[in-house]
Amino acid sequence: MPIDPEAPITITAFDWVPPFARGQVRDLRVRWALEEVGQPYAVRYLTRGEQKQDDHRARQPFGQVPTYEEGDLTLFESGAIVLHIADRWPGLLPDGPDARSRAAEWVFAALNTVEPDLSDMAMATIFERDESWSKPRIPAIRERIGEKLRELSDRLGDSPWLDGEFSAGDLMMISVLRMVEGDDAFLIEAHPNLLAYRTRGEERPAFRRALSDHMAGFTGKAPPEFAAWEEGEKA
Amino acid sequence: MPETNDAPITITAFESSPDKGQGLARDMRVRWALEEAGQPYAVRLVSFAEMKEPAHRALHPFGQIPTYEEGDLALFESGAIVLHIAERLAGLLPDDADARARAITWMFTALNTIEPPIVEREQAGYLERDKSWYDERLPLLEDRVLERLDDLSHRLGDGDWLDGTFSAGDLLMVTVLRRLEGAGIVEEYPNLAAYIARGEARPAYQRAFADQLAVFEASLKAETSNAD
Repeated sequence: MPIDPEAPITITAFDWVPPFARGQVRDLRVRWALEEVGQPYAVRYLTRGEQKQDDHRARQPFGQVPTYEEGDLTLFESGAIVLHIADRWPGLLPDGPDARSRAAEWVFAALNTVEPDLSDMAMATIFERDESWSKPRIPAIRERIGEKLRELSDRLGDSPWLDGEFSAGDLMMISVLRMVEGDDAFLIEAHPNLLAYRTRGEERPAFRRALSDHMAGFTGKAPPEFAAWEEGEKA
Repeated sequence: MPETNDAPITITAFESSPDKGQGLARDMRVRWALEEAGQPYAVRLVSFAEMKEPAHRALHPFGQIPTYEEGDLALFESGAIVLHIAERLAGLLPDDADARARAITWMFTALNTIEPPIVEREQAGYLERDKSWYDERLPLLEDRVLERLDDLSHRLGDGDWLDGTFSAGDLLMVTVLRRLEGAGIVEEYPNLAAYIARGEARPAYQRAFADQLAVFEASLKAETSNAD
């Protein structure tokens, strides 16, 4: 298990998030990448609210997780961190020429083409769920997600991974596809090749270790305002 | 002017850009990067219909522009293309390995942290303007943009660029912030407004801008002569 408090790499993660966000917070992507390349890492856990304080903002100007620290280098943005890990250690770039650019292409495609509509859905169904526009917005967002998944499924075809060997691009795309769940699961189930692709990623030992460590990190207490939110959820 | 027909690099762009030549289409980023690197390139223009056809989808699975072709290599996603150019040619990434990784962090910040709320606000303007909730939702979308700009402005401070010298991270950030020009939002941050202006003043930017504008103007002329 590569979590090691003495490791030269330290990442940040939250010690508590609401149940619906567990398994989705972006430190999971970095943990997975580090597991794939076999690099031990330490985790600095932030309590709720600590991410917006000056100490953390010096690492991450937008007050988010994850960050990556190694010696004098501090990085943020999960895409940049995963690409940095792929550059440093073997295991996350495809075979053949221009491997780095081809992996980066799918990292950007995952984050900039596929993820935005999924984030919009999360916004509509979670953060704006009490607004009058929450439900009316859903069909159009769902249609946009469906179109992206169709296009991705067409490109993947019957290949195991997006471009030859498993790469940082697959890691990021599968991480993003994991957001297609709950009421939207049918959107990915409509594409058996995409569903199998996601499963193939989730079955990798490195992913399983990363997910298990990510889940084990939520040892903090829920903030008082969450109780009220949870009540609303039950109602 | 590095736009030439027999260059080893070919990019794709809109035949008739919906932004009417404002340089907001994503080929602008790639043109600008190639200009910074002094690399000649050819442009293949595609119509909206062509973008969704199999020939173009072979280059770009999501049927968008830009794409980048060089020998056997074909790439899509403007961020990945700019990164590829920056890695190959001088002028867009620092030499020091750590500084390079930080510049790449700013590329992702531009496209994944700053651009999404800007695009969402913009998208609501053309997808949801006729909805009853539009006016009520807009301030919420603007707050999300402002939250990001507050943090970005704070980090930039009185620096010229985000991390030392001009890099591919600044190039993408300036193109993202330009989407807000005229909306009265970014203008509230004098250091960000000056930062955009600094980017736009670069000779490479100006050449790229002029070239994409020339494409749009030619498309207008073609339309007029077709109508005759």
